Amino acid sequence: MRSIRAAYDALAAALGLSAILLLVLPAGCSRALSDPIPPVHDDEAAPRRGGTLRLASISDLRGLDPAGAVDGLSLGPVHLIFAGLVDYDEHARIVPELADHWSVEDGGRTYRFVLRTGVTMHDGTELTADDVKRSIERALHPSTPSQFASYFTGLVGYGAYANGEAEHLEGVVAEGRYDVRFRLQRPDATFPYLLALHAMRPTCKSAGYRYSDTWLPCGAGPFKLERGGWQPGTSLRLVRHPGYFRPGLPYLDAVEWTFNMQEPAQRMHFERGELDLVRDWTDITAARFAADPRWQKYGAVEGDNAMYGETMNTRVPPFDNVEVRRAVAAAIDREHYRLTGPARMRVLTQALPGSVAVDPSYVGQRYDYAAALEHMRKAGYPYDPATGRGGWPDPIEYLLYDQGAVTLTAPLLQQDLARIGLRIRLKVVSFPTFLTLQQRAGAVAISLGSNLLDYPEPSAVFDGLFTTSSISPEGTQNTSFYSNPRFDELAAKAHLELDPERRRALYQEANAILCDEAPWAFTFGFHFYDVHQGYVRGFRPHPVWPLDVGSVWLDRTGDELERMLGGGLR
Amino acid sequence: MLDARALARFRRNRSAVAGAVVVAALVLFALVIPLLSRHGPLTSNFPDGVGPDLMPVGPCAEFPLGVDRIFRDVLSRLAVAGRLSLVIATSATLIATAIGTVVGVVAGYYEGSGLKVPWPALAGLVGAILAALLGWMWVAVSVLLAGVATSAVRHFSGPRLNVDGVLMRVVDVLLAFPFLLLVMAIGASLDHTSSVTIFVTLGVTGWLGIARVLRAKTLQVRTLDYVVASRALGQSTPRVLLRHVLPNIAGPLVVSATVLVAQMIVADAVLSFLGVGIAPPTPTWGRMLFEGQSSIQVAPWLVAAPATILVMAVWGFNMIGEGLRDALDPRGL
Amino acid sequence: MRRVLRRLGWSVVVVWAVVSLAFAVNNLLPGDPARMVAGAQARPADVARIRAQLGIGEPALVQYVRFWRRLVHVGPRVVDPKADPSHATCAVVVPLGSAAVHLDFGKSFMKHAPVVDLIATRLPRTFALAAAGMLVQLLFGLLTGVLAATRRGSRLDRLLVGTSVLGISAPTFLIALALQLVFARGLGWLPIDGFGTTLDEHLRCLVLPAVTLGIYGAAYYTRLVRDELAALLEQDWIRTARAKGAPAWRVVLLHGLRNALLPVVTAAGLDFGALMGGAVVTETVFRWPGLGDLSVQALLNRDGPVILACVVVTSVAIVVANLLVDALYARLDPRIGDVALTRSR
Repeated sequence: MRSIRAAYDALAAALGLSAILLLVLPAGCSRALSDPIPPVHDDEAAPRRGGTLRLASISDLRGLDPAGAVDGLSLGPVHLIFAGLVDYDEHARIVPELADHWSVEDGGRTYRFVLRTGVTMHDGTELTADDVKRSIERALHPSTPSQFASYFTGLVGYGAYANGEAEHLEGVVAEGRYDVRFRLQRPDATFPYLLALHAMRPTCKSAGYRYSDTWLPCGAGPFKLERGGWQPGTSLRLVRHPGYFRPGLPYLDAVEWTFNMQEPAQRMHFERGELDLVRDWTDITAARFAADPRWQKYGAVEGDNAMYGETMNTRVPPFDNVEVRRAVAAAIDREHYRLTGPARMRVLTQALPGSVAVDPSYVGQRYDYAAALEHMRKAGYPYDPATGRGGWPDPIEYLLYDQGAVTLTAPLLQQDLARIGLRIRLKVVSFPTFLTLQQRAGAVAISLGSNLLDYPEPSAVFDGLFTTSSISPEGTQNTSFYSNPRFDELAAKAHLELDPERRRALYQEANAILCDEAPWAFTFGFHFYDVHQGYVRGFRPHPVWPLDVGSVWLDRTGDELERMLGGGLR
Repeated sequence: MLDARALARFRRNRSAVAGAVVVAALVLFALVIPLLSRHGPLTSNFPDGVGPDLMPVGPCAEFPLGVDRIFRDVLSRLAVAGRLSLVIATSATLIATAIGTVVGVVAGYYEGSGLKVPWPALAGLVGAILAALLGWMWVAVSVLLAGVATSAVRHFSGPRLNVDGVLMRVVDVLLAFPFLLLVMAIGASLDHTSSVTIFVTLGVTGWLGIARVLRAKTLQVRTLDYVVASRALGQSTPRVLLRHVLPNIAGPLVVSATVLVAQMIVADAVLSFLGVGIAPPTPTWGRMLFEGQSSIQVAPWLVAAPATILVMAVWGFNMIGEGLRDALDPRGL
Repeated sequence: MRRVLRRLGWSVVVVWAVVSLAFAVNNLLPGDPARMVAGAQARPADVARIRAQLGIGEPALVQYVRFWRRLVHVGPRVVDPKADPSHATCAVVVPLGSAAVHLDFGKSFMKHAPVVDLIATRLPRTFALAAAGMLVQLLFGLLTGVLAATRRGSRLDRLLVGTSVLGISAPTFLIALALQLVFARGLGWLPIDGFGTTLDEHLRCLVLPAVTLGIYGAAYYTRLVRDELAALLEQDWIRTARAKGAPAWRVVLLHGLRNALLPVVTAAGLDFGALMGGAVVTETVFRWPGLGDLSVQALLNRDGPVILACVVVTSVAIVVANLLVDALYARLDPRIGDVALTRSR
């Protein structure tokens, strides 16, 4: 009798516990989205000056020196502090910024830039060609921890400069006060795209000739950093640069970031009007904002710059067999992948992410189960789904790390490939280990491939990821170790081709080769979804730079403005 | 050890019996549900699992506990995870108890007097440590076994070592070492994480508590009259240990081991939660918590289910441990 | 005195052993710190250049010796980082006339800041969390322990023990999540996570993590206090005192608690040492920027100097706590063996 009572006690306790948990958990979930805070004036109103734009980020800021290592978060503020010779417009085309105009000579071997006159930098001095030369030499010096230096090996004299043999970089010449001439060893049509990179942006004279950790960042961008503006680990405040070369801009008095704030906290502050624009939504919250008719006009898709796929090592069996790779590319149901993050993932069917795709509607790879089985048969490993016999006899290791989308897509891949007779086993390692192994020759058969465009041009993808010259025994970017002479030829010719239309044709042919030979099974593209309050006007997401708020203005009532400027975040 | 009186005391203790019932229910759940369930733990259910808003469906007729972010049935995952978590916890406890017992008893028994270690065994141990540091695990194990076997076969002389001091310093060092770093190091040096590597990791890091407890108990037992007498009478050490020491420490050992199972379940969950546990897609309770954490706002059942069952399992084992402690030693608490 | 010196000597050896082990482990871990600094997409030439700049291209033994030589050394009393770059990352700890003892952990790979600065910023925060957590633990534990002991065998006793076991049963992150959901998201009384910018905000952000640690650890103290106190309360002289008419609370407080407190203090001391290492899981869930959070980040980024610095601080804290507890109490209570308790925080 007593033991039965005890059993009832136990059951009651267990039920009580689960009841508590199930009641407690919904307490904090599924709250409906609040109403957006509307702007004061109507759509045709002229921009007004004033106010501070408040942003937050889940990660911490690593640095603000354009010549140092820059990551996804620091790219935003660096772009606001430093203006470049050129920039990308909303279609990712090169347009002049600090440069007034430029000319291409010598079949693409020499570029002559003429700077705008009267550009004032944050320290009050005028921008000259000497500043441009000094800044570039500073970024490319061997003692500088820049991660983009090797993009500029094409400059004349780079080798000697990088070895420390030469005092100056021969390929960058300051001719006169406002003229800069760049000389390349070989003609390169993509050089202007590289000039817009942050590493090449002019810095004030206080930066000197060498990189130093303690320099206060100072450039020619719309916002400047004052001493004490950056509280490491906590916040960053940039204020308007009154001498910005574009008249009337920026409208904002200041931009503020708070770091290390998780998404739930960001959402809470956003709904209270204490944060103005949020980028770090989870997939689920982003989907809800995108589906809500009240919020749709305040949401913006940021550039489709990232591409993901399954990278297959073409030197490791079974992926040395092109038919097996084609089978994999056809076996993956990309719509299922997309369901893991419908607001921010796009199905990818070719080798170029959406923002630089020559033909966005081109379908190079697609889900086709029958075709996949057919490719396996052609490969010599036929698989019979009814009996489960056949396919590749051994299990294959799939390398992944435990963050982000891959934790969801990897088990889906496992199921898809099991259906064509390829059994993969997931091997989870930490992110640093993942990079080391994936970039080492012969170490990994198949793993998650990802690429975030460094600059919006197809060569950013092709050169680094698929050319033979990019292969190295350690630290390679060509993680599929793909080598195709025709592809290399096309990629090299594209650099020499100055006519944009003919260059696009070359890229499209290269694209078609990649889709057919499938060193990667291209699966999805990723973009951020920014949501801002109604009173944030003039925000246009940039195809390349995150949070490009140079022309944003705030449209709130007077006392709200007061509260915004005076109060902080709670 | 567990004589009739102790058993009766245990049965009278309602919380202890409750714990035992809960554990039994969980074992049954883990064994039976996967056999009955229509959906596998590793299969994504398209399109049944996809709700109208493209989100995973919640608890319903088809999926009693809903589906997870990639639309796999939570109920069968929970049960399969139960099997794995229980197996890992008990295996790890066995390893930890074995190591802890040996270390604790040796340290306690030879405290103050030191132990004469035969040269081959000592050489084997030193060699094994060096080999292990260089990463040659199998060499290390074989060298150690060779040394011990040689000294068991023939009588060798050797130095008298203060094993108690050495062992307790080792315990100190291991306690001071950051757990996370140790786990990642073990995970990194072994090629991939499987259930074997996980419970070896947990076992090798979890014996410290038992060692300390059994050392203290052995110190006590050593002073008992008949133990002193048999030693004085010249009985060989293994006989003394087996016939006198072991029965006396059996009580605290069982209690510690039971409580350790509970701690191992938690440690396994923590490892999975930190992302260094068993590789996906195999479910463990900790891993399900890790995976469900990000969607807690839309799909709270993904966290509620593994959380509830985890707490129930650990509570059950702890209650059994408490009950055993009270049953075996009612006076001394 | 000799015992003290011997213990001190052993402690130094322990710290040395732990740090050397950490050094070995850090070097053996696969993963390239230079690659983590340069980014996943940097080209091999750039990664190689950054690796040379970080000083990790040299053989492990050279790095090992250099680490110990720089860790504690004598240098000038006042350091100007720009004029004297060799002492740029040092912290001046003990002045000796015109010179001083310097402590130097090097420079963090990822954050480009002297590691001593990072530790100096975060140590007080972990200290605050450890102290607050300890306070909550002891308060809960003492209260429930006394209650349970004075009503031993009753329903209340069993309920309290059962509930306290629940506290240990749930892993820290579960308690943390539950508290977050109820108090931060549901009721909105307290911040979800983070650290805040003003003192007021710091205190409010401290509440939930401290309570999490408190709930988790209180269970242990409940049992300890209950066991010790109950045993004491059954002794003859206590009964005599009560029979003589002394009020119950006075008996408990003056006589019982004082004696029962010793093992609690012992356990608390050891616990505090472990907490100073940073309650990793709690700090991660609540984004409390202390040493635990720092060590997790450093581990994921393979930031060697920071990892080693955290290990040094942790092991010194634990060793110091051990020494203090030893000094307070001649013989440790052998029942203090729940080491896994101090682990998975």
